[in-house]
Amino acid sequence: MRVSCLQENLSKGLGVVGRAVAGKTTLPMINNVLLSIDQSRLKLSATNLEIAITCWIGAKVEEEGAIAIPARLLSEFVNSLPNERIDMNLSPRQRVLGLRCARFEARINGMDAEDFPPIPMIDEASIISLDPVGLRSAITQVVFAAATDDTRPVLTGVHFRLEGNQATLATADGFRLAIRKLSLATPVAEKMEVIIPARSLSELNRLLGDETEPVQLAISAAKNQVLFRLKNVVMVSQLIQGTFPNYNQLVPQSYQSRAVVTVSDFQRASRTASIFARDGSGIIRIQVTPGGELSPGRMAISARAEEYGDNTGEIDATVDGEGAKIAFNSTYLMDVLGVIDEEEVALETTSPSSPGVLRPVGSESYLHVVMPMFVQW
Amino acid sequence: MRPPIRVLPQEVASQIAAGEVVERPASVVKELVENALDAGATQVSVEVVEGGRRLIRVADDGCGIPEDEVELAFQRHATSKIADTFDLEAIGTLGFRGEALPSIAAVAQVTMVTRTQDAATGTYLRLAPASGGKVARERRACSSGTSVAVSDLFHHVPARLKFLRSPTTENGHIAHLVTQFVFAYPQVRFTLKVDGRTLIQSSGSGDLREAVAAAYQWEVAQSLLAIEKDPRQEDSRLPSGVVVSGLVSPPALSRGGRSYMSFFVNGRWVQSRMLSYALEEAYQGFLLSGKHPIAILLIGLPHREVDVNVHPTKAEVRFVHEREVFGAVNGAARRTLAILAPVPQMTRVAAPVPSGEGLPLALGSGEGVLVSPVISPPSSSLPVLRVLGQVANTYIIAEGPQGMYLIDQHTAHERVLYHKLRTQLAGRGVERQGLLEPLTVEVTSRQEELLQVHGELLFQYGFEVDHFGGRNYLVRSVPALLSVKGDTAQVLQRFLDELADEKEPGDWAQKVAISLACHTAVRAGDTLTLSEMRALVQDLEATDQPRTCPHGRPTMIYLSQSQLEREFGRR
Repeated sequence: MRVSCLQENLSKGLGVVGRAVAGKTTLPMINNVLLSIDQSRLKLSATNLEIAITCWIGAKVEEEGAIAIPARLLSEFVNSLPNERIDMNLSPRQRVLGLRCARFEARINGMDAEDFPPIPMIDEASIISLDPVGLRSAITQVVFAAATDDTRPVLTGVHFRLEGNQATLATADGFRLAIRKLSLATPVAEKMEVIIPARSLSELNRLLGDETEPVQLAISAAKNQVLFRLKNVVMVSQLIQGTFPNYNQLVPQSYQSRAVVTVSDFQRASRTASIFARDGSGIIRIQVTPGGELSPGRMAISARAEEYGDNTGEIDATVDGEGAKIAFNSTYLMDVLGVIDEEEVALETTSPSSPGVLRPVGSESYLHVVMPMFVQW
Repeated sequence: MRPPIRVLPQEVASQIAAGEVVERPASVVKELVENALDAGATQVSVEVVEGGRRLIRVADDGCGIPEDEVELAFQRHATSKIADTFDLEAIGTLGFRGEALPSIAAVAQVTMVTRTQDAATGTYLRLAPASGGKVARERRACSSGTSVAVSDLFHHVPARLKFLRSPTTENGHIAHLVTQFVFAYPQVRFTLKVDGRTLIQSSGSGDLREAVAAAYQWEVAQSLLAIEKDPRQEDSRLPSGVVVSGLVSPPALSRGGRSYMSFFVNGRWVQSRMLSYALEEAYQGFLLSGKHPIAILLIGLPHREVDVNVHPTKAEVRFVHEREVFGAVNGAARRTLAILAPVPQMTRVAAPVPSGEGLPLALGSGEGVLVSPVISPPSSSLPVLRVLGQVANTYIIAEGPQGMYLIDQHTAHERVLYHKLRTQLAGRGVERQGLLEPLTVEVTSRQEELLQVHGELLFQYGFEVDHFGGRNYLVRSVPALLSVKGDTAQVLQRFLDELADEKEPGDWAQKVAISLACHTAVRAGDTLTLSEMRALVQDLEATDQPRTCPHGRPTMIYLSQSQLEREFGRR
């Protein structure tokens, strides 16, 4: 193998696939990154067996070949090089990769490319095209509500449903539920449902960065892998097998009280309250008071720490229906407020012990359900 | 017609009374061996034929009975062991009721041969209930001491005879009993012969470990740990004067049943749930569930502190200061395990955390030995600690103003959660987090019973559990403290299991809190981030007893600045 490329490109490419390199593993091979030549481009691949990322970078190829090189060593070395051309040279039947850049030279011992785990290939016949900006925001809005423990594996994933011209992403962890709808440019031929590990989607979000071209999505025939094709990157992830709970029945159909508040105000008041809530179980109490003839409605957000004291913050609210009292875990509240892009949000409640619903005002595409905490008022 | 009320004939009355004392062959052995020991015997031999039905013979080399008192010994409430009611308040002998011999004689043929040291000849006496008492009496040459042979036990009491188990079972009971005497009196040479075979032969050397070797295996006896002396014993005796000694098993050695735990109060073998619990509690966390320690615990306390006159066979005793006894036994086992249990080699370095004011105990005692922290006064607060890192994903290393602290993350977190739960309960009640979708939990019948009996208590602690049909229950809310960790169903199951195993009565609210704290705390092996460790240490500082977990295990050990300097030869 003889190939040349720019240090900047190689460094970037290694950064992209590096996300999939296994950290600690008993399988030394997957600490490596696979370098190979694909249609006169340099192809970098890495996998931790759950996800695999492949990245292509422009290069001048003089001779084909492939080798697996320790990922961390290579990327640290390349990152420290000046931004100039790097010439790589691998003699046939040898496992030492020679690198030369400006006045630096290195030889890195690699492993046989044949031993590298195969990067899954998916027949990309039925490809669905997604808007990268929408996908990115959708992932951000749901991924935090996925469960982090493995008690119910399906809950550690994002339920991804494709039907008609709509994609629906949903996560739930037993205490909260996040649902985001995304419209598709072209309707899908058949309805599809998969559960993608939340971790994989977080990685995808990082890769999406400021991608502007549509993202291609394909699901393997065996329904066990999903592929995302970006401009120069392909990510393949294992899917979680199982049945996702029917979450639609968990969404309250009506409310007794609906308070519309400004997200930034709500966020500031919650953040203030969470300082006091930290000592308890992170409880934030919300009290909604409807407006009178002259006074506007209000929402009071308070917290108390048994031994230290308490605080209350008040914000304006447009209240529809009765007053309400409800307590939430501060983390859950801050999580959801942090991902709402709209200016205003509506909090819909029925009773202090039934789930509260948060909906951005002016958008039907997002919905978040949080189970309250039961406290003495 | 109702028969008239009348005083029962003598034989009937004595048979009823005998029923309380002589329940099975082992009871006969017990009474006779106790008499032998009270007579100051140094050798006691027990011989049993056919599970004791055919013959029980107990021979000793004790003081013997003078010729003119032999008949008297068989009269009800006749004894040489106590004289008046004052003696009853401080009983130092094993027997005292004066009921054993007459009771035995009421249900079996008894032959006694006895001679005092200074008498020239002995006395032979033969009694049979069928012929209404004495059958034969003569002088006879014999060695000094007493030998009592009991034959045809329950021959005339068919009701009792019917309830006797197989000879094997009865032999088992007798062997278990003699084993206990071997432990309680290692200075006495015991022999147990069953149907001609020698089952137990103790050396009588006075060494408890040898006695254990005679009864259990030699390996077991070798690996048992000797109870450590209470460090406080020297300067301040416990108010009740309880002294605990003996042997307990290291955590690696355990048995499937509780019969390997023997307790002796002032040399008397007793069975007490309180004592078993005190011991097993100390093993909490050392043994798997369903495993029990081996222990021979000798509890010494002033005679007036214990009432043995509770039970006809004196198997139960009552303590005047029960809590102190509990504490002494529990503390003794805990201390021994903490010091001697062959756990990570902390050879010379660690000292206990200084408790409250003053300097750490071990500083005074020269070389720091790992002494389990003394229960600290409630107000003792920790110095401000700076977290440095984590060892083995289990211990947090922290630096304080005067040295280094190693904090066990699990026990520390347990203490924090326990504190929070109790504070919340005392305040506005435990905070609960609702579940988006009720969680279905299938419980066992024992767990179900617990849910029904203590449902209200569980609710107070944050578990809202509704019956769903069959053995299925719906969990609607969980303690808010728990919601941060995932595995709700499993935590609930384990927690119910632990409570189901709980047989001792007591403060259920506290038990629930302890168990809940234990099952939701971070485990050894969980990787913690620096900020998590900081938060944990800060929370620990805020608790009222930061040095022990609610089970009583230490949360931290301390290595003082001066010890470090000594270890590095700077001083």
